[in-house]
Amino acid sequence: MTERSLKKASYAVLVVPAVLIYASIIIIPIIYTSVLSFTEWTGYGIPKFVGLTHYLNMIKDPRFLHGLRNNLLVVGISIFGQIPLGFVLAYILYRKLVKAADFFETMIFLPITISSVVVAILFRQIFSQQGLFTQLVRIVRDEPRFVFSMFEDKYLAIIPILFVILWMYTGTYMIIFIANLQRISPSVIEAAVIDGAKEGQILFRIIIPSMLGVLFTTFVFAISGSLRSFDLIFAMTGGGPANYTEVIAIYMYQTTFKYYNYGFGSAVSMAIVALSVGLISVVQRIFGRFEKKYS
Amino acid sequence: MSKDITSLKKQNLTWRIFAYTVMVFYTFLTVGPLFWLTYSAFKPHIDIVKTVFAFPKSFYVENFKQAYKLGNLGIYFINSVIYAGVATTITVFLALMCGYGFAKFEYKRLSNFFYYFFIMGLLITVHSLLIPLFVLELKLGIDDTRIGVIIPYIALGLPFMVYLAKTFVEGIPESMIEAGRIDGASYLNIFWHMIVPVSLPVVTTMLIFSFLGNWNEFVLVLTLTSDAAIRSLPVGINSFAGGRSRDFGMQMAALVMGTMPMIIFYIFFHKQIKAGFAAGSVKE
Amino acid sequence: MKKAITFLAIICMTTAIFAGGQQGETAAADDGVINLTGMHQMNVTDETAIKNWDIHYPVFQAENPNINIEWEYIADEPYHDKLQAMSVADQLPDLMFLWPAKRTGMVTGSGRIKDLRPWIKGHEDEFAAMAMAPQGVNGEMYELPEQVTVCHVVYTNDRLLDELGLSYPKTMEELLAQQPVIEAAGYIALAMDNGDGWEMQSCFLSTLTERAGGMDWFNKAIVGDGAGFADQEFVDALGVIKTLADANMFSPGINQAGYGEALDAFVREEAVYLIDGGWRTQNLATELTEEQMGYVSLNSFPDIPGQKGQSGSTDAVAGTGFGMNVKLEGAEADAAWEWIWYWAGPVGSKVKQQLGWIPSYKLPAPESLPTIMMKLVDFLGKAPMTPVIDAVMDGEGMGVLHPAIQEMMLGAKTAQQVADEYEAWVAANDTSRK
Repeated sequence: MTERSLKKASYAVLVVPAVLIYASIIIIPIIYTSVLSFTEWTGYGIPKFVGLTHYLNMIKDPRFLHGLRNNLLVVGISIFGQIPLGFVLAYILYRKLVKAADFFETMIFLPITISSVVVAILFRQIFSQQGLFTQLVRIVRDEPRFVFSMFEDKYLAIIPILFVILWMYTGTYMIIFIANLQRISPSVIEAAVIDGAKEGQILFRIIIPSMLGVLFTTFVFAISGSLRSFDLIFAMTGGGPANYTEVIAIYMYQTTFKYYNYGFGSAVSMAIVALSVGLISVVQRIFGRFEKKYS
Repeated sequence: MSKDITSLKKQNLTWRIFAYTVMVFYTFLTVGPLFWLTYSAFKPHIDIVKTVFAFPKSFYVENFKQAYKLGNLGIYFINSVIYAGVATTITVFLALMCGYGFAKFEYKRLSNFFYYFFIMGLLITVHSLLIPLFVLELKLGIDDTRIGVIIPYIALGLPFMVYLAKTFVEGIPESMIEAGRIDGASYLNIFWHMIVPVSLPVVTTMLIFSFLGNWNEFVLVLTLTSDAAIRSLPVGINSFAGGRSRDFGMQMAALVMGTMPMIIFYIFFHKQIKAGFAAGSVKE
Repeated sequence: MKKAITFLAIICMTTAIFAGGQQGETAAADDGVINLTGMHQMNVTDETAIKNWDIHYPVFQAENPNINIEWEYIADEPYHDKLQAMSVADQLPDLMFLWPAKRTGMVTGSGRIKDLRPWIKGHEDEFAAMAMAPQGVNGEMYELPEQVTVCHVVYTNDRLLDELGLSYPKTMEELLAQQPVIEAAGYIALAMDNGDGWEMQSCFLSTLTERAGGMDWFNKAIVGDGAGFADQEFVDALGVIKTLADANMFSPGINQAGYGEALDAFVREEAVYLIDGGWRTQNLATELTEEQMGYVSLNSFPDIPGQKGQSGSTDAVAGTGFGMNVKLEGAEADAAWEWIWYWAGPVGSKVKQQLGWIPSYKLPAPESLPTIMMKLVDFLGKAPMTPVIDAVMDGEGMGVLHPAIQEMMLGAKTAQQVADEYEAWVAANDTSRK
């Protein structure tokens, strides 16, 4: 075998199996879905071509818009809640402000090992009438008939869910940050301290710039994960009451599976993908500018 | 490592109090619900409803026995191990191969194409694949089989794994590989004898992430399988969900049993998990 | 290279060992035993359901040793998802648990379910009239109903009423007047769950609709014959719910409550009334003590202001039952019919009676039934019956109606808005209007 053909063959052996599996399981169905999004189909018979109808109806549907709003809030809590909080926790542990760092680390990361369905059930229990939270408030506020009613407000209903999401995923970000903080060469920090730099300056001039790459990655995961979030919310409230806590992925599920509207459901799926791509590109632009500034 | 110079032990008491408060509060918030879940599982349903906070009067293990029996948890556990184990091993292996292929071979345009091909997979929700996948499996005759679950697991795990692998392998010095080539090693030999050993940190991360994801997955198993003999733990646990489970005790026992394996796994391996994160998640 | 291949080979073999050979078996007749596949909606953690099933299947097996059915059980909503997915993929099992009307309408209307009329022929009179109502567009019968399901019952704790110095109200005004007394004593007035949205419509609104407008109007509104859901009658029906909600008579947090919480509250005697379906009597028969059953009575909602319908009416629908795959022929179809007939016919119905069900097959009332079941039989005998909305209207419309009702209860919409919204959807989309 010649050098070149050996190289090609090796490349093929390395890459083809994965690509093949991926293509057949993901790509083909996705193409199928995207084509379906331009048709009307109830699962029986032949799909009927309807062009952009579904997309137009979707944008006009207040329920979709409400779901979108909820999704953006979830993205928001991830970016402005989990990531900063994870960072703060990581920073505290990294700078050894507390003893038994290991213990804290282990505990805070714990929620992520639990299946989101379990977390959902657990918290539904906690917020329910006989639940932990309700009983706690009843005792503390001496209101024996108190019932957790935030779910009944159209605009606030998503808040308890945001809290649960925060609870579950902050640990991941914390661990990522700790691990990467520890990669910063101590000598750089040493030098800065000797030069008389204060904590704040060290943080903003040294630590954050070196974290930019990591931050970008976490933003990407936060966005894609948030837009896809389904299991947790579905198991916890099913999107209710009255669709108040619905997110787009649940909206898609209901339309496709409950009402046999495969064409429309497909359009919604495509919308989720488009949104992810859009948001991530925006984030990429912003980070691009930051990186230029710092290097 | 970052000992004296970077530690703030000498810093203000205020900062330290603040730090401790945050930490303890957050830990309490994290562990609290889980702790409540665990000890509540030892109380019969009536007690759970009447006295929410109280510790169990005695070790009421009926819940666990019932949950285990009704939920078929024994078989489901074994299946979960099979699915997560096999799928994870294969995924990580294949992803590392791709990582090497994309990072170290010069077919850049092709590699980039494939790479972004995989990254797009991060944006897809499982439900949009469900029906086409189900129909596809039926036509191929692999529905309701273990392999019918494992292959989608692999496919779904690849995007993130390929990302981790490629990023890491990019960081492996060219010189090392050159040396290998000069010594006459074939590309696949280099993969096996050099890339793999050096990649151990990222492999650990990948294994853990992949295992976690596969272990907790449930929508695919639910839809693609009917035979109870090949279903996994999350499906079993889910039959206790739905809010219609009117025996809270049994429900909680099921939840506890469903989560224990992962928690134990994590407690034993968390050091490795963290080490893996350091090496694998930086985008240089 | 060699190592890599060996490694891959090991992985493949391991996978093959674990992964292969778990395919579902196809029906094949060997040594005279006919094997069928069946799918049933059952929550394996529901003790009552399991107990019932564990009694049924062995009885069938004893009578039909040459028929073997392999069952798959799925609980609640996922059952419908799975059934639908299988229907779309044209992979339905031989026997399925089906609903008479729109609930599984997509599947029954797909042409993949066999019409059972040839087998039922000659037996029609043995069943309650409502159970023989046509299910398909041309009068087809896709499943044989196991019971006539009453969807609205006001279970009443008479002991609590006594304690509070009250008696069962004859009109809604009387009921409303009871609220302060009940609340002061720390009890819930009307225990009900509506977290899933269907409870309020199925177990209450449907009855109220008939009360507000009468059967004539109701039937006309369904087909759009000079009447519709935007009419004052429907608004009035919704209005009743709103009034009760505003007076705080329902369980707190009703719109988040999972189905079953209200039953719990009633069993623990924390609620005076429980509004739920007739099927709940089975649960009550298991969970109440003999003494408690003595003081629980079954009633229908009191008269509402301006009532045009019948006093004491309740909404009912032919119950669920089993149907078979259209592909079955000959011996297999007959075997499948054996099960269907067993389940809803004389043998199975007798078993059901013992368990506290009211089967659609006419049988004399047994002497020894749990007290509460006797009360249900009584109730069924007396209450006039009306349609259930989700049985006669499209399921997709429920996606509009249910959240709207919830929003009305939460104060975000008026009854008129809900009525208008629903009628708008029905007029444009519902198949009963076409």
